[in-house]
Amino acid sequence: MDDHRSGDEVRLHWKSPEDLRNGSNRGVEPAFNDGDWLGGSTRRDFLTLAGFSLTAALAACRAPIEKAIPLLVGSDDITPGVASWYATTCGACPAGCGLLVKTRDGRPIKIEGNSSSALSGGGTCATGQAAVLSLYDDARLRSPMVHGKASSWSKADAVISNTLRGAFASRQNVVLLSRNIGSPSTNAVIEEWSQLNPHFRHVIYEPVSLSALREAQSECFGRAAVPHYRFDKARVIVSIDADFLGTWLSPVEFTRQYVRGRAAETRRSQHVQYESRFSVTGSNADLRVPIPPSSHGAVALGLLRRVAKAQGLDGCPEAPEPASALATLDAVAGLLLKHHGQSLIVSGSQDVAVQTVVATLNQFLGNIGTTVDLAQPSLQRRENDSAMAALLDDLDRGEIDVLLLHGVNPAYDHPDARRFLAGLKKVRFSVSTSDRMDETSRFADAVCPDHHFLESWGDAEPVQSSFSLAQPAIAPLFNTRSAVESLLSWSGRPLDHYAYLRDYWRRALFPLQKETADFDAFWDNTLREGVFVVSPTSDPVPIAFRGDWKRAAEAVAGLARASVASPHGNTYEVDLYESVALRDGRHANNPWLQELPDPISKMTWGNVAAVSPATAAALALADGDIVVLRSGGTATELPVLVQPGQDAQTISVAVGYGRIAAGKAGNDVGVNVFPLATMNNGSHRLWMPNVSIERTGRRAELATTQRHFSMEGRDIVQELSVADLSRSEPAPLAEHHLPSLWEPRPEGDHSWGMVIDLDSCTGCSACVIACQSENNVPVVGKQEVQRTREMHWIRIDRYYSGAPENPESVHQPMMCQHCGNAPCETVCPVLATTHSSDGLNQQIYNRCVGTRYCANNCPYKVRRFNWFQYAQNPSFDFHMDSALGRMVLNPDVTVRSRGVMEKCSLCVQRIQAGKVQALQEKRVVADGDIKTACQQACPAEAIVFGDLKDPHSRVSELRRDHRYYNVLDELGTRPNVGYLKKIRNRIETQELK
Amino acid sequence: MRVRTALLAAGTLIPALASGIMLRNLSRIGIHQGYAPEQPIAFSHRVHAGTNQIACLYCHSAARKSRHAGIPSASVCMNCHSLLEKQTVEIEKLKEAVQQKRPIVWIKIHNLPEFVYFNHSQHVLSGVACRKCHGAVETMDRVEQVSPLTMGWCLDCHRTHAGVPTSGFARAALNLRGQSRPVPGLDCGKCHY
Repeated sequence: MDDHRSGDEVRLHWKSPEDLRNGSNRGVEPAFNDGDWLGGSTRRDFLTLAGFSLTAALAACRAPIEKAIPLLVGSDDITPGVASWYATTCGACPAGCGLLVKTRDGRPIKIEGNSSSALSGGGTCATGQAAVLSLYDDARLRSPMVHGKASSWSKADAVISNTLRGAFASRQNVVLLSRNIGSPSTNAVIEEWSQLNPHFRHVIYEPVSLSALREAQSECFGRAAVPHYRFDKARVIVSIDADFLGTWLSPVEFTRQYVRGRAAETRRSQHVQYESRFSVTGSNADLRVPIPPSSHGAVALGLLRRVAKAQGLDGCPEAPEPASALATLDAVAGLLLKHHGQSLIVSGSQDVAVQTVVATLNQFLGNIGTTVDLAQPSLQRRENDSAMAALLDDLDRGEIDVLLLHGVNPAYDHPDARRFLAGLKKVRFSVSTSDRMDETSRFADAVCPDHHFLESWGDAEPVQSSFSLAQPAIAPLFNTRSAVESLLSWSGRPLDHYAYLRDYWRRALFPLQKETADFDAFWDNTLREGVFVVSPTSDPVPIAFRGDWKRAAEAVAGLARASVASPHGNTYEVDLYESVALRDGRHANNPWLQELPDPISKMTWGNVAAVSPATAAALALADGDIVVLRSGGTATELPVLVQPGQDAQTISVAVGYGRIAAGKAGNDVGVNVFPLATMNNGSHRLWMPNVSIERTGRRAELATTQRHFSMEGRDIVQELSVADLSRSEPAPLAEHHLPSLWEPRPEGDHSWGMVIDLDSCTGCSACVIACQSENNVPVVGKQEVQRTREMHWIRIDRYYSGAPENPESVHQPMMCQHCGNAPCETVCPVLATTHSSDGLNQQIYNRCVGTRYCANNCPYKVRRFNWFQYAQNPSFDFHMDSALGRMVLNPDVTVRSRGVMEKCSLCVQRIQAGKVQALQEKRVVADGDIKTACQQACPAEAIVFGDLKDPHSRVSELRRDHRYYNVLDELGTRPNVGYLKKIRNRIETQELK
Repeated sequence: MRVRTALLAAGTLIPALASGIMLRNLSRIGIHQGYAPEQPIAFSHRVHAGTNQIACLYCHSAARKSRHAGIPSASVCMNCHSLLEKQTVEIEKLKEAVQQKRPIVWIKIHNLPEFVYFNHSQHVLSGVACRKCHGAVETMDRVEQVSPLTMGWCLDCHRTHAGVPTSGFARAALNLRGQSRPVPGLDCGKCHY
């Protein structure tokens, strides 16, 4: 164990070998170390000091002088203390969801989904929720940098414009290497550059690439675009390693669609997931089959062969199929054939041949035009791996003269980062628009920091004809400049971004609509709504299939045969994936995301090598054992996590960790595994075969938030099978038959309650960050998480059931249940936690003396204790120790101090705000007026909050639902928060055969 | 003997008195009743609200819609002062600030601890008069804190008005719903979160 507190003096004690293996035991610390707790002083010293401090406190009892500085010139739009909301577009990932940003007194403090958006609805993801904290990141650059020194925009512009002008004049190669740019107006600027300068090219690069998917559509349908998928229209969904509810393509939109497709109790969609690791998507599947990454193609081909055969098409090659999937393929193919035109097959494979087979399957099953929309495709992803590979070759040869880097960090996330850096050094002049001195921009000649997306104008077109606008919610904090403005300025058109954007919309988009002839009205309305959808003028042209599917199938079959021919022996396959929180590592310096538990493994602050229980048993590995993964010339050390449901031949590791120049929160957390990725046929491949695993004998303590996965025989999570749905009766609640020792409490106008649908919850964890952002929940750091002292008010418990090789799982958001008879209230000696007249269990910080009796007596274990002062404490330098980082705090919620208990308040500040708003508008509070932060963020609409006193409110209706139950109801706690049972719709592969 | 008794009495009385004073002071920590700091501009509420009868909410308009009553921005002052001919040293200070685009740094008088949430609009809209808490501001040249602003003082009012609707709207709302619940809350969580 890595416990080296004081050399050999602290001995390790463990309760059982199991305990030791779990690594949860730490050395037993002496409670008191001979006065060490007071820094070597005695009791007498203590009393003297205490006496002195009381006198000093009395003498110094003068409140600090508070200032009040009003605006010099008032504005109708700004009232101190009243929030303003701005519609904008999320820039945290290429999905481009619609957002509403809450600003208080000029600073954005909370991100919410824009319900006007037809794509993402009111939902968001964890990463999007956390993006507001990235705005207040201390690591952001304060000004442009030229040759490593702070400079001014005019100086930087002069240098860059001269260089570019010279380069264009002498026909030198200029390359813009960028991430996906969703903005049509920005793409128009880049398009102009390309047209004006034949030696300019634009390369789009993403570390986790969907290039193969796009290329396959080009081969099959002649359109190089990622289709717009419609999971809500599919009755059967087959995903081959695409984590579409977690990280793949557009998770918020897909979660919304997916849950809608499953909401109907009679016409539920069925979902089959073939995957190597246990993903969020896999945890929701009706049938989940673990397969190694090398078999993705074989599974797709196996389905294609069966479908083609059933449709009388010959010529599909046979290939060996993975043993684990064999039993299911007939059944799944049967399901697919049964639902012609109502199925959807997606794949996360980075092999063009596999994606071609998948596209062919969708074509043969009649899904093109129904669940796979190519007429109005997604424009979110346009990366091109072969263009990136060609650029790398050109860099090698020193043929690139000027390189502009926008939003990319290949020195960190390219598999061949060293080669990229060597090439970058050969470039005559390089410019980066990175917001920080990251791994790549450190080596750029000039860094021209881009705005954070909350400071910037912009637009997006995530799906063709669905536009959205982005507007700044705050004036730029630093001397940064929008990258579009930089590009415009370097091309000799010094326009500001707003003027350019408005002009672009007037020219390009305003003519597409007929509602209004007044551009100003159109602009104002779109800005207010945030979104603008152009309705199609004509019926979509049918898209002809022209793919050479037999060639692709032959290629896939060849690979499958080759992989079978080289037996695994003692080697494994490594599968790299994006985690729900950090994604590709771009958000590594966001402490909220670092501390967000992974939805499945519950890991925080670092990545692990996930191995299956079988592998762990074979190699005698336990959680926390450090192993070396050797592949070719690389050796990577990682701690092990035994992951139920993990494919036995595969070791999965999350990318995005191990940054070295992200900032104070993200540096040196976990291990960078991008170097393990390979290039294959010109495409990035995030898996590799033939990796050996070796123990090092060392151990590391993991920072996981859930260490106990058994329900100990209690019905904490309840499930129903589809067959039982019609027969199910509402379970009688304890409050109706168990006697109570307590007098009925006085009741007020309301009784606030919540119902969470376990069938809708996918475990995406957006609610956890939304709550953290709304309620000023502190970040405590890795060491404190290891001590189980994380502060999240809402956690998502994940339980497994069934065999560890491939268990079923369920996600249960758990927060204060606001018990009618709350066990915490009866044990508080100072009445710091009491019951309000409207059904809330209230926690009063200024009354709390920190006995922690309440946490001890809480059966749901939802109370959090402030072991330390987390704000303004250099020991917890995450964001609350810097004046900049504290700007994200919600002024309507107290920042708690050391020694007090806290827990979910059901967003009492939002309840109060809702009541005040009703009072201002001279009406009573209506159902739906008040939404808690977790409810608002949920893309699956799994959380419903409302007044239980109102029999017609949605929450009351759901409480009468036959699926409703209270957790640990038998204790008689009578909670106001309850759950709807999860529905199991298992696909019985044997029966279907 | 008498001396001894006197000494004994003094010996008990003096510490008792001292601790009594100390206890009283202790109990008044954080209470700033009577706090009347000097302001950067000697603005007189007596002249404005008293003599000239300007309504409180004309300047403190945010009190109707925000938790903060708000101090008017200088542009609100200039609504009148750009037209009025009267000039004093203090008005000069205001005009100078406006010309130099320099915000005026007022000293905040009524301060609540940070663990309390108080909302002006809620009270104003429920019909609580400004003077109920702020006193006769229209008679003050320099505003001072009249009320103790302690929790006990808040609750005194909340208890007295329990069951008595304080505004026409609240009364109407209660009648509509046929309920007899008090409007002001006594729940801890109404103000502490």
